[in-house]
Amino acid sequence: MGQENPSLTAELRRRLEEAEETIRAIREGEIDALVIRNPASEEEVFTLEGGPEPFRAFMEAMDLGAAAFDAEGRMLYANSALGELLGLTADELLVRGVCSALDPVAASTVRTLIADGGKIKSSAEIVVGDGRHVQVSASPLRVGVTDAVAVTFTDITHRIRERAIQESERAALAILASANEAVIVCDLHGRITHANAAVDAISAENLVGKTFGTAVRLAVPGSTNPQPGAEIVALAIAGSPVQGIEAFAPDAPKCKDLLISAAPLRIGSDAISGCVVTMVDLSQRKRLEQQQLLLMGELDHRVKNTLALVLSIANRTANSEETVNGFQTAFSGRIQALAATHNILAECSWASVRVGEVLHQEVGPFISSGENRLRVSGPDVRILPRAAIALGLVLHELATNAVKYGALSSPAGIVAVRLTDDPASPYFSLEWRETDGPTVAEPSRFGFGQTVITRSLQYSVDGGAVLEYPAEGVRCIMRIPRADVVAA
Amino acid sequence: MVENVNPITPAEPTKLVLYVAGQTPKSVSAIENLERICAEHLPGRYRIEVVDLRKSPQLAREHNIIAIPTLVRELPTPIRKIIGDLSDSEKVLVHLKIGD
Repeated sequence: MGQENPSLTAELRRRLEEAEETIRAIREGEIDALVIRNPASEEEVFTLEGGPEPFRAFMEAMDLGAAAFDAEGRMLYANSALGELLGLTADELLVRGVCSALDPVAASTVRTLIADGGKIKSSAEIVVGDGRHVQVSASPLRVGVTDAVAVTFTDITHRIRERAIQESERAALAILASANEAVIVCDLHGRITHANAAVDAISAENLVGKTFGTAVRLAVPGSTNPQPGAEIVALAIAGSPVQGIEAFAPDAPKCKDLLISAAPLRIGSDAISGCVVTMVDLSQRKRLEQQQLLLMGELDHRVKNTLALVLSIANRTANSEETVNGFQTAFSGRIQALAATHNILAECSWASVRVGEVLHQEVGPFISSGENRLRVSGPDVRILPRAAIALGLVLHELATNAVKYGALSSPAGIVAVRLTDDPASPYFSLEWRETDGPTVAEPSRFGFGQTVITRSLQYSVDGGAVLEYPAEGVRCIMRIPRADVVAA
Repeated sequence: MVENVNPITPAEPTKLVLYVAGQTPKSVSAIENLERICAEHLPGRYRIEVVDLRKSPQLAREHNIIAIPTLVRELPTPIRKIIGDLSDSEKVLVHLKIGD
């Protein structure tokens, strides 16, 4: 070998050092791309495996905004979707950074996320310039040999709005479902789109999808329209509310009497999109009205009966009493007897009263308290008002007679009343027997009192009373028609 | 021209060419590290040209670049190459200042 060219040697040494340096740099992970020459002898940059390229291609393909930051918070990369989301071009985003497009609060949130994102996965919601809601998530990422933070920006405005819409829809449905009244919503064609649970009382079928006019059969008094339901809905859809139409639903399982109203349905300030029909159950009200009518009729009947009775008592008492004083005493006693029976009947709403109660009410006032001079035996029963009034008058006459002439006119006299209820008999009987009083003789003349006793219970063939005058004491057997005895 | 008789003179600015590949992490780090080192140690006496080989791969031929990032000290001569992300400031300074 001849003498070496020193500059050639230096050049070779330099190239060797360079080659060694390249290998060292590759081995120690100081580079992440290589220039290679392809078969067409053109240079191409080849990113080392694990480098950002596949990741970057993936990020670009995503709809959501994405960026990578190094451990010091410097942006390494941002995809174009992020630029679009923040209203920045790719270059603006690179030069100015993500936070330049955010208000101070959002920028601070994002910075905190990036700072924490190298350690743990975290996310937060921010609002960007035009009011859009963006979910920002940061998580640790390893790019090649570098620790980084991956941050994604997802526009959730639509999701939030949808959630709000769903929430209000749920609320509307809950209101509809909770309404006591039957509520039906129809579309512009009168087709039912919603029906709440209360509608079950009007139709056993599922009405949704059917036309209101045909699905809910209604009869409106005075209307000649064979389908009044269709007419009501058509009016409401045309913009005229319909209020308080009374209708009858012949097919309804529960509520047949209805009060129907219909109003146009406007969602927001938009045009009419259908109508809302509410149907109030009138059955209860109708029943109450009928009961009230019945009670008024009953009251009218009773007042007339009582007046006739008072009139008759007045006439007959006047005929049989010789003095004004005698008339006054007898008449007021009889009216009081009538009032006493009325009182106990009113206490039980004119339903039925016990025979024992009528006895004590009518006879009790003539016996001093503490004396055991009225002795009642046998089974007590309840009787209807008609029988109670008659029995009250009879007992009043018997008691006044006993006080004036019979057992109650002497200190030792006793009145025993025996009640007999023979189910086979067409009447319930009371036997009034006076003992230990003065000796009795049949009266020479019969006054109105006797007529009251014998006739009052004769309103039915099974009723009546027999009055006898044995010497030991007056005896009276009263028969109350079985029809007026309330079955136990 | 004989290389070893040409020391760095204060009048002559250091001309540096940094070869990167787009925004790979090492490329980004190399740019930042180089700017920091030059600002600290060669204030006002350097010029940096950044060559993105992703955009213009044929430019790799001029300095026979294989690995990215690579820093080339073009001036003063002789040409020096530093391969890597320039995170070792000491090493970078030694290479930049050595006049051979």
